[in-house]
Order: sequence, then structure tokens, then C-alpha cells
Amino acid sequence: MNFIPIPLIIWLIEDLLYLIIFPGLVTILVLVIIIIWLERKIAAKVQMRFGPLWVSKKIGGALQSLADLLRYSFQEAIIPEKADKLAFILAPGLMFAFATIALIFIPVGPYYSALFPSYYTILFSVALIIITPIFAIIVGWASDNKFSFIGALREGFLLISYEVPFLLSVVSMIVIFRTYNYISAVQSQLNFLPGIILNPLAALTMLIVMIRTTGRFPFDITEADSELVLGLFTEYSALFFGVGMATPYVELYNFSLIFSLLFLGGWWPLNVNVMNPLYGLFLPGLVVVIKAFIVMAILVFLRAVYPRYRLDQAVRSGWSYVLLLSVLSVILSIVEVKFLR
Amino acid sequence: MSEKIFNIDDLQNINVEGEKYIILQIGPSHPGSGHMRIKVWLDGDIIVKVDPDIGFVHRTSEWLSERREWIKAIPIVERIMLPDTVHANLAYVLAVEKLLGIEPPPRAQYLRSLVAEINRITSHLYGIGIFGIFLGSSTVYMWAFGDREPFIDLMEMLTGARITTSYIIPGGVRWDIPNGFKERAETVLQYMERRLKDYEDIWVKNPVVQARTINVGVLKKEDAISLGVVGPNLRASGVYYDTRKHQPYAAYPNLDFEVPTMKNGDAYDRLLIRVEEIKQSIRMIRQILKDLPEGKIIADQIYNQLNPVMKKNYEEKKRVMFPAFMIHMRPPPGEATAKVEAGRGEIFFYIKSTGDKYPYRFRWVTPSFRNLPFFTHVAVGHRLADLPTIYGSIDYFPPEADR
Amino acid sequence: MNEVRKPRDPVTGHIKALAKGFKYLLEPNRMTLDYPAETMKLPPNYRGFFTVDDKKCIGCSMCEMVCPPEAITMVPRIIGEGGKTLPAPEGEKETKGPKRTKRPVVNWGKCIFCYFCVDVCPVDAFIPTQVHDVAFEKDKDYRPSYEEYLKPPEEPYKNAKKVVSKADLKRGVSYEPAP
Repeated sequence: MNFIPIPLIIWLIEDLLYLIIFPGLVTILVLVIIIIWLERKIAAKVQMRFGPLWVSKKIGGALQSLADLLRYSFQEAIIPEKADKLAFILAPGLMFAFATIALIFIPVGPYYSALFPSYYTILFSVALIIITPIFAIIVGWASDNKFSFIGALREGFLLISYEVPFLLSVVSMIVIFRTYNYISAVQSQLNFLPGIILNPLAALTMLIVMIRTTGRFPFDITEADSELVLGLFTEYSALFFGVGMATPYVELYNFSLIFSLLFLGGWWPLNVNVMNPLYGLFLPGLVVVIKAFIVMAILVFLRAVYPRYRLDQAVRSGWSYVLLLSVLSVILSIVEVKFLR
Repeated sequence: MSEKIFNIDDLQNINVEGEKYIILQIGPSHPGSGHMRIKVWLDGDIIVKVDPDIGFVHRTSEWLSERREWIKAIPIVERIMLPDTVHANLAYVLAVEKLLGIEPPPRAQYLRSLVAEINRITSHLYGIGIFGIFLGSSTVYMWAFGDREPFIDLMEMLTGARITTSYIIPGGVRWDIPNGFKERAETVLQYMERRLKDYEDIWVKNPVVQARTINVGVLKKEDAISLGVVGPNLRASGVYYDTRKHQPYAAYPNLDFEVPTMKNGDAYDRLLIRVEEIKQSIRMIRQILKDLPEGKIIADQIYNQLNPVMKKNYEEKKRVMFPAFMIHMRPPPGEATAKVEAGRGEIFFYIKSTGDKYPYRFRWVTPSFRNLPFFTHVAVGHRLADLPTIYGSIDYFPPEADR
Repeated sequence: MNEVRKPRDPVTGHIKALAKGFKYLLEPNRMTLDYPAETMKLPPNYRGFFTVDDKKCIGCSMCEMVCPPEAITMVPRIIGEGGKTLPAPEGEKETKGPKRTKRPVVNWGKCIFCYFCVDVCPVDAFIPTQVHDVAFEKDKDYRPSYEEYLKPPEEPYKNAKKVVSKADLKRGVSYEPAP
């Protein structure tokens, strides 16, 4: 028994726990189900009605999303004759996979992270998040449907116009924290101030980009149902559709994790130095996930307030106001680093 | 936005889909089309040509009405204009009354105006709600449809049905206002006035809505007149024309109200004018409930034909029953026209009688049909995303246009 | 009218819209009815399903003639000794011997609830009810026989809480338990 490398096993178990249980796939599934339900309930509350209720009346219809998921699972999957079948089948899955994989590089605790304890986690996670919308374009192209195609074009336009502000807002935080690593970034926030106070402009840019990338209102442009039926996913049905519809929420989850790590102080108010399985591993992660969930809830609330912008308006504001805001945030960071420290 | 940014010669090959144009078939089964098909030619994101294809819900209302007794046309015209049932009913009955030579008593006139104004509010709320969902705001959609409910409850209390009231009959109306109606109406009106402020924050003055609607779908005053646009859309372009003012009917000569007009004629003005008209309707309902004259709710010619059972019912329950005259009505030969300002614009009726038990000719023009030029004339040159804005702002109701 | 058109500047507009949405999120303001769990008691003149008073009906066919969708058919009946119809109400002449007459039957698949038939009846023989939400399982159920038609319509959801709607300054419509 002496040949078994015990540290390696612990390391593997920890990684599996991270990727599959918390904050990995199972947590994502549960959170997506809850956030979809919460989104509908919030909208219903503002709109003076009940929202989903009758699936599980005693707990306010919380199982509605689960019931929808089951329905998608047993629905007949229809693949259009003229569709590019390989791309049509693979693209939603890849989209979902890449949205999930980004989680590898997002640590939710000082001693709790997945496979690659790299120094450059911020850069890697951002790079992976930016890949996801490319599969959305493939989805729109593969369907051989004009509405999907227009949706894909819109996604492309928006992708390009909001990527630069996103990167710049991350860069401004990198400048402030002088690190490419989430754990160090959080530690420097614990020592000083949370990032949202240090650079509110970057936080605002990041929020706008989050709304845009995950297709929340008022940037629900790619699936504008009054002109594009359902945009990208017009031809999809069954589980493909379910996966496709869940992907923006997974992206939202990743973005919210990044947001709470970079701007909301990560696992603040916990300042952990102990390698205790409960205290050191899970509790900080729980704090981060709760923070991320609150950010998600705030963003899904926007559905109840806003209609959607037009494509050209969104692209224009992406290249003007939001870009300006992100450039200013970088300048603010540089000024702070020069004069405050 | 409205200048033509394409060369008219390009339209030679417009039917050939290819590198330059995409042809989109929006409808008839599409979340943003209603019961019609809008064929759109796109040059990139710019609309080059729009061809609204109507007739999917043509229900032969004229044919049906010409083969039935006169009274049976009332439910038929109502079902064509579902958000505007009372106005359709009123317009038809006005035409029949002209043929018959019956003048309803003042109380009936006031009650007609009362129901018509309640109906106008529900109709405008319907339009605002549909406009909301076309721009993606589910909140306004739910709010507007929810706020129809108190008014529909008022209609239900008065007429016994929520939408298809069949309330107005030749010679008067079918029910008098019940006890407690006035108090309830006052509460509902106060509620609506308060809610209009909330609409302003979340919808009318929402920056996203303003960005989407201002200077979109501009219809100039001269164009509006020459295209024959009617109703709120005409007034949004700055034309002061309202049948209630210019050819008054029912109790409108006695009511004090304004006809709001706007200047720019864009989608935002068409949205605002509906809000303003709701305010005017609230004002009118207050006046009607205050000045409601006493007296019969049915003309004497009809009342005298009621049998003793019916008269007893009239005295006790304030309910007008139909004498056999209603079935065997044979208006004297002649022609009659009637105009009514419905929620979406002016309804025009032309009826010809040969003294038979069926109408000889039954012809009517509904406001939505007359607002159809918006698609072909106004949408060109805008972006694809502006098409729902224009469609929603004109409050177009396909079944009404198809008749 | 141009004062109403004045656009609001974006920052105020966004803040006001978000604040109003948030206010509605927190305030109790629900105006919908939890339908199958609560059902409404409708006003007495609501036009619901109706049946006919066999004793009062004189078989004059006026209702059939006035029906706009032609939903009413007159079925032949024999009243008097041989027929099943009950004797005439008090104060009226007893019919001697069997007599051929007609009675209305409504095809619920066609009926539009305009109540023209109820209003045209010279003896006010129709019995209106406020039941409006009957569901028919089979196509045949739409067309009852005369005996089936005479039974008063059954209200679905008998265990539901009965409420009446009331105009409300805050919610537009509120519901209170029916008296």
C-alpha cells in the first residue's frame, strides 16, 4: 500500500469534487434551474402575477424549470433536412462545454481550485469565455434558416463590439492588483478595498458586458422574438434546445464568479489561512457562489424593466460609450497605482 | 432614417434572392406577425420593400350579414373587431337606426358613450401591451393586459359579458347601470390615473423605448392625409380629425373633451397619443357618470311593443327584452351610412335595404385596413428591427383588416 | 402637446425605470386570480350557460329564429297525458290530452352567449345561470338531448374557494371571499 501516492489521490479527488460537485456541474445545474425559476418569478412579481406555480405549488413552483428540463429530454429531436448536421448537433454541446470549461481557471477559494493551479488564471478564463460565442455563430449558420442566420450575424457584430471593453475592464483590474491570478487579486482586495470601490468604472463596464454577452435585456438582440422568431435556436428542439437555452445562464454564472472575485472581494469577509477541509475549502467557495448568485439575480431582474435595443444602437454604444468607459477605467487604474500606492 | 437609401433601379431584380437581397417571410406563423404575412426584402439590415399579405383570417362578415336577419349582424361585427366590440356594434346600430328612423332616448345615448369610452381604454391598453411585447418588454405587455381587467370587469358588470357585449341594439341599450357601478367606476378611474404615472417611468420615458421609437416610422402630415390613415395614427401626424368631434354621435355633442394631436408622426408620438386618449376617456367617463340623465334606456317605438312580461322585467330588473320586431325587422328601402371613431380609427358602415328581412348590401371598412399603407410606405429604409416597432406602434389588428 | 413629448435624459430615465421596477418587486400587488383554486362569483347579469323552464315554454320558436349562430334547434315534444312534460303552472289552463309542441335545445358548440334568445322569449322561460367554464369532453356532449339540456349546468371545481372581484385602488382588481 505504500506505492499509492496519497497526495495525488487527494489532489484528484479535490479536482473531481471541484469540477463535478462544487462549484462544477452539479452546482451549475442547480443554480441554472434556480435562476431560471427566479427570473420568471421576479418578472411575475413586477408584472403583478403569480409566475410558475402549479408544478410544485407548496414551494412556489420551484420545480418548474426541472419539469421543463425533463420535457426537453423526452421531446423528439428534429434535425432539419438541409441543416449541416454535424455542426447542428455538435455546436450547442460545444457551446455548453466551453462555457463550463472556463470554470477550471476560476478558483473559488484560496486552496480550492481545479486542475491547473496556474499563475495566469485571469487570462485563461477570459480567453475561454470569449471562445463561447463563436459556437453561437456556428449554431446560427448550421440551421440553414434565415432567422437563425440573421441572429448569428447579430451575435457576431455584438461579440466584436463588446469584446474590447470586456478585456480592457479586466486589464484595468490586472493593473490595479498587479497580478494575473485570481487568488492574489482577492488577497490584495482583502488587504485593502474591494475592486468595485477601487475602480467603479471597470465594474460598470463589466456589468454591461455581462448583460450583453449573456443576452439579458436590454441586449436581448440575437433572439429578438418579434422579428427573429427565436434567433439562433429557431430550428432547435428537444435537449439541444434545452442545452442551448441553458448556456447563457452558465456564461452568466462564470461572469458572475469573475465579477465577485475581481470586484466584490472574493471570499471577503472570510480571511482564511487554514487548510481545514470545511473552513479552508468549501466555506470561501460558498461565499463566492452566493455573491455570484446575487449578481445573477440582479441581472435577471433587468428583464422586468427593459425592452431591447436595436442592433445598430447596441453596436454603436459598444464602440463609443462602453469603449470610452473601459479606456477611462484603465486610465483610472493607472492613476491609482501611480499615486495611491 | 426615412430617406431612401437604395436606388429604385435596383428593384428590377428584387424578386431574385441572392447576394444583394434576402427575402424574409415574417408570418403567418411567427411571433411578430399576427394573423398575416409580411414579406420583407432586406438589403443587409435595411428594409428595401415590404409587402403585407393580408386575408389569412378573412371571415366573410359581409356575406354572412347579408344572409341573416338584421339583428344577427351585431354579434358578427363584434367578432371581427374583438378589441373594439362596442364601437363595431354601435356603428352598425347607428346605420340601422338611420334606416328605421328611431332615435334612442338621452339616457341610452349616454350609456352608449360610456361603454364606448370604457372600450376605447381597453383597446388602447391592448395596443400599448402589444407594442410592449414587440419591443421586448414583457412587463408592459402584462401590465397593459392586466389593467384592461378592471375595465373589462366594469363592462361585465354593466353588460353581462366581458368582451363581446352585444350591448347596443336598435333603439337603445339592453341593460341599465346596476347598483354600485358608479362607485366602482370611480375607483377604477383613479387606479388607472395612478398607473399611467408608473407606465411613464417604466415604458413611455424609458430611455430604451425612446431610443427605439423616436424618429422611427415617421409619417408626415401630408402623407397621412393622402394615404387615408385614420384614428390615433392620423392624429399623431398632426391632423386634427376625430369623428366624435366632427360628426358627433351618441352623447358626444354634450361632452367636453379634447382631441390630442402630435406633430412628428413617429412611433413615439403614436405611443403618446394613445396614453393621452386614455386620459381623455377617463375624463369623459367621469362626465358621463355625473351627467347621466334619467329616463328610459330604449326608444318608445320599441318599448311600446313589449308584452306585459317584458315590461315587468324592464321595470324590475332594468333589462330590455326584445319584442318580435327585433327578429322581423324590415327597415324601409333606402341607404344609410354611419361613422364611429373606434379605438384604432374610424369605422365606416354602408347599408342598403330593399325592405327585405335581410340587408341587401352590407359594406363596412375597418380602421386597421385603412392603416395598412404604413407597412409599404413607412417601413422602407428602416432596419429590420424597426419593423416590429412600426407594426406595434400603429396598433394593427389583422382580423379587423381582413373582416 | 409637445410638453408630453419632451424626452427624458438617459441617466434619470434608467434610474427611474429601475426604481419603479424595484418598487413593484417589493410591494404586494398581485392582481391575478389563482383560477382553479379560486373561482369567481360573477355578477347576477353575467351571461353564462342557461337552461329552459319546461313549464313556462310555449314552443313559439322565437329563440330559434333570433339565434345568430343558429345554435338553437326546436325538438318535437308531446305534452299532456302521454308526454313526459309536467302539467302547466298554476293559474293557467290545464291542457287536455296529448298535444304536439316544440322545445328549444342549445348546441353549446355553436352558442355565443349573446342572450338574444333569453331576451326575445315572450314568456321569459329561459333560466340564466352564471356558470361559464364548463368543459366538454366529447363532441357529443356539445349537443345535449332535451332531457340533458333541462338539467342545470354543473359548475366545475366545486371545492374551489369562491371569491368576488372588487375594484381596488392599489391593485386594480382584488378578490375577497364571496358572501
